[in-house]
Amino acid sequence: MSTIVPAMRHVRGFDIARPLSIFMLVFMMMPLVFLPLASIFIFGTRTGLDKFWAALMAPEAIFALKLSMATSFWATVFNVIFGLFAAYVLSRHNFWGRNALIVTISLPTAIPTAVAGFALLLLWGPYGTLGRLLAPQGVQIMFTAGAIILANIFVTFPLAFGVIKPVFDTMSRSLEEASATIGATRWQTFWHVTLPSLRGAIVSGALLTFARAVGEFGSTILVSGNLAGRTQTAPLYIFAKFNEGQIEAANAIAIVLALFSFLIFSVLFFARDWLDVD
Amino acid sequence: MKAKETLIPRREEPVNHTAAPPAAASVIGLSKRFGKTSVLENISFDVAEGEVLVLLGASGSGKTTILRIIAGLEMPYTGKVILHGKDVTELPARERGVGVIFQSYALFPKMTVEKNIGYGLRIRKRKRKEIKQTVDELLSLVQLDEHRKKYPSQLSGGQQQRVAIARTLAYKPEVLLFDEPFGALDTQTRVHLRREIRALLKKVNVPAIFITHDQEEALELGDRVAVLNVGHIEQIGTPFQIYNHPATEYVASFLGAANVLDAVVKKDFIEVGSAQIPKTFEKDEFKPGDCVKIVFRPEDVALSINDFLRPGYARLSTAVIDEVTFIGAYERLRLRLERGGEECKTQESPYYLTTETPDREPTKWIIATRPKPEASTTRLHVGERVVVALTSFTVLPLQGTRGAN
Repeated sequence: MSTIVPAMRHVRGFDIARPLSIFMLVFMMMPLVFLPLASIFIFGTRTGLDKFWAALMAPEAIFALKLSMATSFWATVFNVIFGLFAAYVLSRHNFWGRNALIVTISLPTAIPTAVAGFALLLLWGPYGTLGRLLAPQGVQIMFTAGAIILANIFVTFPLAFGVIKPVFDTMSRSLEEASATIGATRWQTFWHVTLPSLRGAIVSGALLTFARAVGEFGSTILVSGNLAGRTQTAPLYIFAKFNEGQIEAANAIAIVLALFSFLIFSVLFFARDWLDVD
Repeated sequence: MKAKETLIPRREEPVNHTAAPPAAASVIGLSKRFGKTSVLENISFDVAEGEVLVLLGASGSGKTTILRIIAGLEMPYTGKVILHGKDVTELPARERGVGVIFQSYALFPKMTVEKNIGYGLRIRKRKRKEIKQTVDELLSLVQLDEHRKKYPSQLSGGQQQRVAIARTLAYKPEVLLFDEPFGALDTQTRVHLRREIRALLKKVNVPAIFITHDQEEALELGDRVAVLNVGHIEQIGTPFQIYNHPATEYVASFLGAANVLDAVVKKDFIEVGSAQIPKTFEKDEFKPGDCVKIVFRPEDVALSINDFLRPGYARLSTAVIDEVTFIGAYERLRLRLERGGEECKTQESPYYLTTETPDREPTKWIIATRPKPEASTTRLHVGERVVVALTSFTVLPLQGTRGAN
């Protein structure tokens, strides 16, 4: 025993490294995370709650929030269904080019959002490769809510897939085989056996996608046209009001978006046990 | 089989061969390839109603593939699967009505015990009342009534296995297939569950096919056992037959320890080294001059310190004791034969034998076991010389199988 006593000294009695390291961690996070978040709330409520409420109830502000929710919702619906399908195909079948597909699906995370928006414009814009063909028909996709959904889909593409696929990979094939030998069709097996095991992954994938889509700025500002009351999402509203010098208006929406992301991450964090319950 | 008659009388298997019952499940001429590798060759067997057949083989012997082909999870390259007279080779798994008990049990983790058991009936759109009644019956059959609301993760391995069996019994399967069902359990539980399942199967009278690599399990569970070796069946028979009358050296050595010695067939006896032991095979099986192998189990070896042998024992040689080990109920001895089992040379055998080949070592080792009472009355020590005799043995050709068994 005597030989290892020096090495064990730090576990006996008071150890300065413990409080010091915790303090260091909090201290470093102060200017980087805590203070910026806090300042939104401090600034927003400084002028009084009635001003905050008035700024929030402005028609353009309400429209921006609604548009953000709606476009994010549809992008989430699409990406969860697509992610489920893609994860199924890429996890259950082995084929030539499989890895290339996985990389391609995951790529949008690495692409700057402004580049993503620009790319969509080049394709669907009035003079874009496909947009040029649609324009004579009177179909205009860019600078509409549809464009915002397309941009949201693009930038959040890999999120749901990324959460669902690992669950598919670790899911035992014998569950599905057992279901088949018991007499279930593929669809029954998917509905009764596969899907319930994916519940947690689907919910967290959807929340991640939604949270990311609500906050999307870089691609949205390029494809939406940023028309107040028509194609202006909540992050664009913050940017526009800030540029106009209406700090209170910008701040009200910023508080709502910040609270909203707190909510989603609380659900993700605290509901983890519920989501994975057997 | 006349084999044992010349030696001391021994417990023979009770014979009750009534007319062969119709096969509940059969496979005919199955073969399977993965790419260019052939993993199964010409596999055929039948399972009668209520019978338990065990496919016994080492890993890579193809036993799992056979099971998956019967279940419809794998397509055979050639051959047919017949269930109760119906050719199901082309049917998908879900239309075959077989029950598979997977090694991991594959219980649905998000369903309770009763939901798991009722699954087969729910997807068949049976009436709720009927489902409930069947589930209740099965729960009491497998003694899990009080666990009906639990999830699989809350059950022990043995309980999960019983749920898995009940889940297949719910839809009255044509045949039950067990894929290494005790592989994930500890030895004690395994022995206990084995007996439980055997009793359960006799109760429900559904034909069953087990696969395992555990010879003890095979002998205890099976009404019949098929021994598989790299994709073909070496022998199929009752546990008694395959243990006591192995058709090949592989079967002999796979089912417990076996000693193998080379011998030559003479006109009236078999010559093992300088010893002469009685012929035990049917008349025309071997001709004088044939090279054969004699195979015997450690418990078939009788040791004596004087030259006194009971009538019927076949004297083999003298031997020197090399090692004595006590292993619970038995004493295990390693003996060096002083003579016997020299290389058999026929006219055809070419002279390219090298000394590197371990089988060609001039010294022959055999293993013998003695039960505790004998070991304690007649103590034997390392270095002592004893007379070795055989109470029972099997004669096999030098290569290949011994025809019908």
